[in-house]
Amino acid sequence: MGQTLRRHFRPEQIRELSLVFLILGVLVFFSTQIPNYLSPRFFNRIASDVAIIAVVAIGQTLVILTRNVDLSVGSIVGVTAYVVGTFLTGNHELHPVLAVAMAIAIGAVLGTINGVLIAYGRVPAIITTLGTLAIYRAALVELSGAKTVVIDAMPRWLQELPGVTLASFAGLDVRLLVLIALAAVIIFQLVLSFTNLGRRLYAVGSNPDGARFAGLPSEQVVFIAFVLCGALSGLAGFMFLARFGNITVVAAQGMELQVIAAVVVGGVAIFGGQGTIIGALLGALLINILQQSLIRWISISAFWIDALLGALILAAVAADALILGRLRNLWARSEVQMTEADEKRVVGADVPK
Amino acid sequence: MRGISKRFDTTQALEDVSLSLYPGEIHALLGENGAGKSTLIKIMTGVHPPDRGEIRLDEKPISLLNPIQAQTHGIAAIYQEPMVFPDLTVAENIFLTHRTRSPFVNWGRLYRDAEDILKQLDVKLDVRQPARGLTLAAQQTVEIAKAISLQVRVLIMDEPTASLSAHEVRQLFKLANTLRKQGVAILFISHRMEEVFEIADRVTVFRDGKWISTKPRVEVTPDGAIRDMVGREIHDLFAKTETARGETLLSVKNLGKERTFQGITFDVHRGEVVGLAGLVGARRTDVGLALFGVEPADVGEVVFAGKPVRITAPQQAMKIGIAYASEDRRALGLVMPMSVTENISLPMLREYLYGLGLINFGAEKKTAMQFRERLAIRTQTVDVPVAKLSGGNQQKVMLSKWLNVKPQLLILDEPTRGIDVGAKAEVHAMINELAEQGLGIILISSDMPEVMGMSDRIVVMREGRQMGIFTRAEATQETILAAAMGQG
Repeated sequence: MGQTLRRHFRPEQIRELSLVFLILGVLVFFSTQIPNYLSPRFFNRIASDVAIIAVVAIGQTLVILTRNVDLSVGSIVGVTAYVVGTFLTGNHELHPVLAVAMAIAIGAVLGTINGVLIAYGRVPAIITTLGTLAIYRAALVELSGAKTVVIDAMPRWLQELPGVTLASFAGLDVRLLVLIALAAVIIFQLVLSFTNLGRRLYAVGSNPDGARFAGLPSEQVVFIAFVLCGALSGLAGFMFLARFGNITVVAAQGMELQVIAAVVVGGVAIFGGQGTIIGALLGALLINILQQSLIRWISISAFWIDALLGALILAAVAADALILGRLRNLWARSEVQMTEADEKRVVGADVPK
Repeated sequence: MRGISKRFDTTQALEDVSLSLYPGEIHALLGENGAGKSTLIKIMTGVHPPDRGEIRLDEKPISLLNPIQAQTHGIAAIYQEPMVFPDLTVAENIFLTHRTRSPFVNWGRLYRDAEDILKQLDVKLDVRQPARGLTLAAQQTVEIAKAISLQVRVLIMDEPTASLSAHEVRQLFKLANTLRKQGVAILFISHRMEEVFEIADRVTVFRDGKWISTKPRVEVTPDGAIRDMVGREIHDLFAKTETARGETLLSVKNLGKERTFQGITFDVHRGEVVGLAGLVGARRTDVGLALFGVEPADVGEVVFAGKPVRITAPQQAMKIGIAYASEDRRALGLVMPMSVTENISLPMLREYLYGLGLINFGAEKKTAMQFRERLAIRTQTVDVPVAKLSGGNQQKVMLSKWLNVKPQLLILDEPTRGIDVGAKAEVHAMINELAEQGLGIILISSDMPEVMGMSDRIVVMREGRQMGIFTRAEATQETILAAAMGQG
């Protein structure tokens, strides 16, 4: 089977395929354990949850590809949700598009702060974003005076937004927010696969020194990744506000763990240079489905859910090291065989004397 | 050591080499780059096991499968860059590798013992001070003290003086003499001929992984040693074709960078290959990096294509037409997980875009396939990650990448290191072809026959200084090596 499989798929794609099968396997397993498991309501809920995580995971993927990490995403989501929510409380007439733009802008500004410090100030990303994680959150507590944004004070369109459904098949809703997230995933996957920026993100992450020697503006690439991550977290902040309505100062606290888990489980290499946004989306899906299912199956407590998340990250990294490493070797070996066969054919034909 | 052999992939690093060290002798080891000195050190310190041959200590065969075994036999090495732990104190560094039975540290004894050893060496150092902030020479002293604390029998000193001041060298020699009196066998490796003649009792010369000679110092002359080091036939494998020398392309005057190199002055004409020769530590790569703007020079003038320029970034260098193919393919040259195509287009990706930053995959692949043909890169498709190609083919991908920038001046840093003979010949043919097309080429190479065969003129460097420029007619292996060792 080897050759055909190897010609058509790269190890990374196999990984994504195996995630799809894993998700299906999980669904099949729980459907035998939990009565009425595969209900439309269950899937709608997962879709709405994952939509928010996935949008943040896109940004996180961009950052991790460059061999950095952004721990402040949860705080950015919280700040954006709160600030936009507060603003809308007093300005019901604000156009929805402007509200979204405002959220993205706030996120982008916070991401810019990260980006400047990391790309140009050369402070390690883990330190910088650990700092801004706390600072953004503390600023929120300070500015808000610990007041809460309440859904009843929101304009009508926002209250109705989570329920806006464009189409429905057998109870499965295609909701606007989910579509927005899906659009973002597709757009950024295309950016990674087909644009100059995408190529540069991979190059800078795989070999920072090599990228510098190739004359790539590494600082600028890292900076852009952080700004985009902030902007996407801002968009997610708006979605968070729309979905939950009631925003306290602890909104989206700890989200960074879920997002990083999704990205890593989705096959994005924590040392940069490898991974896809589709993978990150699949990772987010798998994690969310497991969480929801386990709660219903054995009424597992929220604390155990965190432990589960941790275990999943470890399993993903281990799988990466063991399975993917082995796959790559297998591929490399067959490639060498092919190349050697090539060389035998080529040698003598066009070697300059 | 008898009949030691070691092979790495395709290179025979050491071939049937024998060497004896006696207690209380300082034995100098001489050889060009690639003569096998480093490999020998690695075998003696247990980093690499030999493929064949045996090592005897006190007439008993010993095995050195790992550094710890070497240590327990009393074999230690100090290097040009000492490997101390900056946050530990001098005393901790000295006793770091000692195994004690007690899990607790007896600080009082630790400091006392450390002071004893330093007193024995007649040096004054505060044993409680962290190693950070010590001069390089003091750090070396700490390493020597560490070796002594391990009852060293054989001490290898690998280019220990390369970064030391004249005064510090004196101190180090005094230490070495003290150790000699105590019956330690010292293997002293240095590119500085005068030091070798000052301190060594016997001198051994290696060439191309083979033992050439071992003589008492009194029977050795600098000229004789240099002849032993280079005495090889140059075959016409490396013949540069004569090309018409065009107008001046690059003119470098008094280029310097603090603590790195100074007074570098040479011209490169169109169609000319200028070789940069020198031994390890000559700072040739630093000159290349300065001209490419990675580590810009501090002082000096550079005139490129008739215009004075100050090159401060690789982007700028590429824009005016300078490309630099690094010696370190893996770390600096290629992005290993990326495909042949992606690597070739990387510096010039702007040329392969539709609007909106979208990559024109077709055009990109076409370029890659052209280069595959032109340089005979052996790979079935240009879509495979370069990590999967052989060294020679990786080198060709890197050359393609820089040729695609369409430079006027190409700096090649060790373009044939670690690739097989066939690929080497192809790279040389490529260099000839490029020179014929009117490119100026700077060839940095530690491979003496290569530099001599391929260069129209050769700039010889030694420890950051320019020792001379030789035309092809003037250059012989002896003159170049003598200049590189400061004997010119």
